[in-house]
Amino acid sequence: MPRWGMVIDLDKCTACQSCTVACRVENNVPIAGQRDSSNGRAIFWNEVIPVIEGDGTHLKGRFIPRPCMHCENPPCVQVCPVGATFKDAEGIVRQDYQRCIGCRYCTVACPYGARYFNWRAPEFAESHASYRNPDAPARPRPVGVVEKCTFCVQRIERARRRVAAEGRELRDGDVVPACVQTCPGRARFFGDLDDKHSQVSRLARSPRALRFLEDLGTRPQVIYLMEG
Amino acid sequence: MSISRRTFLKISSATSAGLLVTGRSELKGAQEQGGRSDAADERWVPSVCLQCPGGCGILVRVVEGRAVKIEGNPKHPINEGVLCPKGQIGLQILYDPDRIKGPLLRVGARGAGQWKQIGWDEAVQRVVSRLKALRARGEAHTFVFMNGRNRGQMGDLIGRFCSAYGTPNNVGHSSICADGSALAHYLTQGIKSYLGYDWDRTNYLLCFGAGFVEAWRPTTRLLRAYGHMRRGRPIRAKIVQVDTRFSVSAAKADEWIAIRPGTDGALALGIAHVIVKEQLYDEAFVARHTFGFEDWTDAKTGESRLGFKSLVLREYAPEKVSKITGVPVETIVRIAREFAATRPAIAAGERGASMQSNGIYNRMAIHSLNALVGSIDTPGGVIVQRGPSFTAWPDVVQDDLAKVGIKMHRVDSAGTARFPLAGKVYQGLPEAILGEGPYPVKALFAYYTNPLFSTPDVGRFYKAIEKVPFVVSFTPFMDETSEHADLILPDHTYLERWHDDVIYPSLGYPVVGLRQPVVKPLYDTRNSGDLLIQIAKGIGGSVARSFPWTDFVDLLKFRFRGVWEGRRGTIVAPSFAAFWKKLTEDGVWAAPPYRFGEWGEVLKTQTKKFEFYSNALEHKLHDLAKKEVEKAGEKGSEVTEAQALERILVGLKLTARGPKVYLPHYEPFRAPGDPRQFPLLLNTYKLMTHAEGRGANVPWLQEVLGVHTGMKWESWVEINPKTAAELGIADGDPVWVESQVGKLRTRARLYPGAQPDVVNMPFELGHQAYGRWAKGRGVNPNWILVNEYDYLGGTAGFFSTRVKIFKA
Repeated sequence: MPRWGMVIDLDKCTACQSCTVACRVENNVPIAGQRDSSNGRAIFWNEVIPVIEGDGTHLKGRFIPRPCMHCENPPCVQVCPVGATFKDAEGIVRQDYQRCIGCRYCTVACPYGARYFNWRAPEFAESHASYRNPDAPARPRPVGVVEKCTFCVQRIERARRRVAAEGRELRDGDVVPACVQTCPGRARFFGDLDDKHSQVSRLARSPRALRFLEDLGTRPQVIYLMEG
Repeated sequence: MSISRRTFLKISSATSAGLLVTGRSELKGAQEQGGRSDAADERWVPSVCLQCPGGCGILVRVVEGRAVKIEGNPKHPINEGVLCPKGQIGLQILYDPDRIKGPLLRVGARGAGQWKQIGWDEAVQRVVSRLKALRARGEAHTFVFMNGRNRGQMGDLIGRFCSAYGTPNNVGHSSICADGSALAHYLTQGIKSYLGYDWDRTNYLLCFGAGFVEAWRPTTRLLRAYGHMRRGRPIRAKIVQVDTRFSVSAAKADEWIAIRPGTDGALALGIAHVIVKEQLYDEAFVARHTFGFEDWTDAKTGESRLGFKSLVLREYAPEKVSKITGVPVETIVRIAREFAATRPAIAAGERGASMQSNGIYNRMAIHSLNALVGSIDTPGGVIVQRGPSFTAWPDVVQDDLAKVGIKMHRVDSAGTARFPLAGKVYQGLPEAILGEGPYPVKALFAYYTNPLFSTPDVGRFYKAIEKVPFVVSFTPFMDETSEHADLILPDHTYLERWHDDVIYPSLGYPVVGLRQPVVKPLYDTRNSGDLLIQIAKGIGGSVARSFPWTDFVDLLKFRFRGVWEGRRGTIVAPSFAAFWKKLTEDGVWAAPPYRFGEWGEVLKTQTKKFEFYSNALEHKLHDLAKKEVEKAGEKGSEVTEAQALERILVGLKLTARGPKVYLPHYEPFRAPGDPRQFPLLLNTYKLMTHAEGRGANVPWLQEVLGVHTGMKWESWVEINPKTAAELGIADGDPVWVESQVGKLRTRARLYPGAQPDVVNMPFELGHQAYGRWAKGRGVNPNWILVNEYDYLGGTAGFFSTRVKIFKA
């Protein structure tokens, strides 16, 4: 049983936001439109967060792509009153839209801002229907539920079906989430953190490796490699 | 770095503000619906992106006839399987509900949006009869073909159409793009195009005014290179960004050098001064492959001529350069030493340096740094793009009407004493049309270009287009220019059409991708390539005979036959049919590796050397001066060549005289207007999400518009916080940005990366048309930009506008 994790190398990241867009295309994330966007209600399972500090010519700018951290100890799961959000057997923090009552405790509890509420029916739903990803787990979500990054579970399923057809086990690199596949700087890596030979577990042992807000005890399964 | 919980939350804070209970009525939507496994009708179709001129290979996932996802094609060497955000969003181009769905004939007033749907036969017939009538009247030259992102054979096809028809007025858009660089390469290397760079092996990048990870080209290739330069190899390359604002590229560089707008050339020359003075340059390369470094004697006249070395030593000491550029002396000296010592090093530059009133000289100065450190045609240096061995075009057949027409002066005065090096002056057309040109424009085509949005002081084009009696647009979208057309002959989107795409200069070795329909055309649209061939046949005679192909695919096959016959590269096949089949399966043909040392391909100047001193420029200006002397003689007045040259230089607004004119030097940056009335300079720039001006109709891009400001769906102006405080402007305030041309109402963003006297506005928004997601959103800076020129090349000086800002 793998324990899925991701590594993001900030030194290779170009802040291009291809991950953000690829994720929204792949996962049928609705378009919010101007009004909801300006109210902070646009949904981004993966968002690139700017951190610009200093002044004059002494500026430091960082851009942090932020998917769900799929914490080993996820605060969102602890506060969910109905068990709609849970950690699955492979370490992915999942969301059951049918159980979700829309209380948004999880959204408040998540220190990374990785959870989003469907405030209203998406804008442009009609034209979006033309190019919707038909894969089952990526189907559009109803109004009133919280949604979030799934590490592209539909792609994990597809990879499983593919290797089963080839009569073999999953190997490192078989599963490629949409953000990883498109990343032009090749800054993102995905794989089994428990496989000590996998690329992600090797990178996670780098001296540049860092987990955000570790002091909160969340133990993220998304690990960053620092710049410079 | 201070990363706190707040860092993550401030972006999405509104999501958790307040507790609002919404109805649960839609919960049943959560039931499984239409879920599928991948056993159904599903295929991946290779094609080529068209969201920028990069030419990335794509694979499109098509399920039950619908395109549902675009990925990079791993076989395409430009992008090797990855894709930038612009490439990801193609589905919203294809399925844009506001596409033009068939040929339209204007029935109301210009721009009133009243159209009549007509059939293709009638549409083609209308164009043919108009163009035939013009020719018959001997007015073929009054037909202007404006074109933008041509790609592949479309550029040549349009050129061929113009030649066969008999007009010199093939007006591409590169004079508002980045021609300044191409012309600087022409003057120094004899190559009038952009150059490639061996990013993967360079150790030092000194980047002047190019948005390396935002808006330069080919986008995905550069993004890939960035990742590779940082952590894809054992040695991490250093990147230094010279920029007028703290761009994303500046943030992602190791060092940001803030510079005053339009002074990049001076900085480059200051760096050259240090390199020369401290003898850090590549003496062997300079001696062997360059011309005009040392002072020299003209063999014909016996005059002693100034060399680059003497010029930079005499005029560009760091102290002086520091005063011009605002860059500290220590920084200039340190960067010079680093650049010369960390080889292979590349000095690159683009719009921030090249599209200035002094752009060509800026770029010559920057490119000279490559010659100084021997980075021309070397691993990790500057390389020259080679093309595929297409079958040569057959000669254009020209009747007498065409022969006469083609020899007429260009309506935009490109190549004359007004714009000596220009091949076209796109943004100069309004003046030409409104009366300054040598003759009226009687018909205008616009293919994949939108002058009513994209030119500085764009209001001029709205006036000009009213004077053109027949305007035809080929775009799939109702953009501003189409809205003012008489006839719209909508093209397919790029996901529905056949088209080739020769890569933008980058990798050096020949690469060409094949764009093919991933789905059947959704509407009654037509490949513009097919259409041009059809129109030519309709005109008949020699025009028809110049186009012996049945349609555009037939033409592509004709041209690709030569590639097949070359028997090299990634596809070698026993028959052309087999070659073509494999090409449709791979989506790309490439012939690596780059061949170093073919100096005849690399240095094509008169001396076959890198010319610090440009013979081509000297000859061009002297030829024009001689023509002026002749012209004056015909009118009976006597003018010496020296006087004529002086007049030309005055007309070009150049301050240099003598040999300096032909050497890289700093021409003072020009920004018209009164600095007391308009105390700030307006800097414009392109965002990653900009899709080179064509992204505003894409919700996926609108919703991630400015990564560094967090702005979405609307425009903004970046103001330094101290400047804003002096003006009493707070973050988010509505403000007016006013220039001598006009004013725009937008939103202020206080941005520490704006210099105190420079404000920044991105392009992209501010459309008056272009579909529901673009129209009426944000502002277009082109409405207030001054139409300044680098007269030498007829290129736009995009950064010469002074503004004032006040609260709205």
